[in-house]
Amino acid sequence: MMQEESGLDIILNTGSTAFQGAVIKGGRKFTDEYTQEAAYCDINPEDFEELGKPWVVKVTNEYGDSVILRAKKTDRQQRGEIWIPRGPWANIVVTPVTESTGSPRYKNLQVQIEKASGPVLGPEELMKKYYTKRARPKWEENRKWTA
Amino acid sequence: MTCPVCGIACDDIEVELDDVSVVTRNACIMGDAKFKELRSSHRITKPLIEGKAAPWSEAVDKAAEFLVNAKRPFFFVGSETTTEAMAVAIEIAEMLGGLVDGNATICHGPTVMAMQDVGQSGCTLGETRNRADLDIYWGANPEDSHPRHLSRHSIFVRGFFAEQGRYGRKVVVVDPRRSTTAEHADLHLQLKPGTDFEVLSAIMTILNGFEPHESFTEITGISREDIHKAAEMVKEARFGVIWVGLGIASTRGKHYNASMAMRLTQLGNKTGKFVILANRGHCNVTGFNQVLNWSHGFPYAVDFSTGAPRYQPGEYSCVDALRRGEVDALFCMCADLAAHLPKIAVERMCEIPVVSIETAEGPQAFISDVVLPGVLDAMECEGTFYRMDNVPIYARSFCDPPFDFTKSNEDTCTQLRDAIIQKLEAREKAKEEATQAKPQTTPLTDDEFGQRLDKLVSRAV
Repeated sequence: MMQEESGLDIILNTGSTAFQGAVIKGGRKFTDEYTQEAAYCDINPEDFEELGKPWVVKVTNEYGDSVILRAKKTDRQQRGEIWIPRGPWANIVVTPVTESTGSPRYKNLQVQIEKASGPVLGPEELMKKYYTKRARPKWEENRKWTA
Repeated sequence: MTCPVCGIACDDIEVELDDVSVVTRNACIMGDAKFKELRSSHRITKPLIEGKAAPWSEAVDKAAEFLVNAKRPFFFVGSETTTEAMAVAIEIAEMLGGLVDGNATICHGPTVMAMQDVGQSGCTLGETRNRADLDIYWGANPEDSHPRHLSRHSIFVRGFFAEQGRYGRKVVVVDPRRSTTAEHADLHLQLKPGTDFEVLSAIMTILNGFEPHESFTEITGISREDIHKAAEMVKEARFGVIWVGLGIASTRGKHYNASMAMRLTQLGNKTGKFVILANRGHCNVTGFNQVLNWSHGFPYAVDFSTGAPRYQPGEYSCVDALRRGEVDALFCMCADLAAHLPKIAVERMCEIPVVSIETAEGPQAFISDVVLPGVLDAMECEGTFYRMDNVPIYARSFCDPPFDFTKSNEDTCTQLRDAIIQKLEAREKAKEEATQAKPQTTPLTDDEFGQRLDKLVSRAV
């Protein structure tokens, strides 16, 4: 597989930031703010160079699920590790292996990362792309949150 | 006022509220955002059925129907609500023989398991503020997850015996990232991910008077000098606190890591006073463990399908039950599961009826079939929160919800419970009537049986 060969094996950690927390506690989960605060990926400068100084990256897990995120170069990360804020983007690649505790692998997960060009989806587009509710009649026309 | 956001549940918030704006004092960025929800434009104020505004009674009826018709309903009790509401939700789960789980399962569930294994030597946040002279943040980044943690309860605050504040305390941060909390640390152990168990063991080895194995630095990425420094700090501490975060519970090893941290606490108690506290994420995530423990004897991941509570994380826990696809209806209260569960679990949620109590639009409301508008606890209704040190705090309310069909999430759950009881009674009644309507059959006597058999045999011949 060509794609896999061009990718870089890396360890994924996820976690929270106060800003991402403020967006979700403030109920702004379907706004661009959420994309700004949760749809990025922190990368160590050396890994960043190796990936070819990307603007956006694609992170893929062992099941082949992948998500596209903005790339952020930061020296807070150690080499060989990336970090994504908690949220629907990170959870596309988090695996449900709970080691009989109920808690999925939010941290220390082996993934692949590669340079990408695709758009970083907003929260609503992401939900629409990855999750289709069965037999939902005319969801779009019906949708009226606050009425 | 009490803040209904993170595990510290700050109780010194001042709020100025008028018709259009909310001004808070003392609240952090997350708390402020939550209080501003009182006057937000995206609040869900009407019940929704498949995304369409519907009357309240219809929505409750539909929700009850989904849950009653399910063979294995799942009740996910979120944590930004009061223990009173949680108790009713657990009652419904028991009544319907479903599964019940709370936010702990995807948060500090493994730490809770470790508490059962090893036992926790704990204290209140007041004691950490007044006494602690060593703060160890293990896999925790409170500056982001609990913004007022450092200034109210740990490193910066001046306490009775810790009158020097930051200068009287030593701070160790164990985190593979150089997090914002790590910048305040006297010692940052930047370990390789997944080696918490090894690092904890190494500190214990040194405290017991031995030297860690020569492969230690290669495995964990921490120098021998640093680990000795950390062990020395533990030995010298008069009152040490290990604050464990999700770095311990979400990585490989899970509850084994947390167990090891608790054993280190036991060892620390030989030279000084040592406690361990979990940095619980939400204002009442501890409350769920408390309520379920009190009512049914188990902290989370409970199954009522046999009529008696059974506890098995990894089997009855939310992610596992959804992943296996056995759950056929989901009730989710005050939690955004669609944003915080792995993809495969959310995919299952898309296949089954989902009933949610939600305050704002977002992934959970997006995938829900019925959305019941949520009430903001500690603002629009009162109730009890358990702080992350297991101290109950009674949160008062200061305004009313923007609708009149429910007063609180507890009220919503009670109405739902009543609707479910009605449906169950109606179903029982229909069953009784069906059995009565059926013609009564009397067993055949031996003679009658013989005659009929003869007739059949003669026809066949």
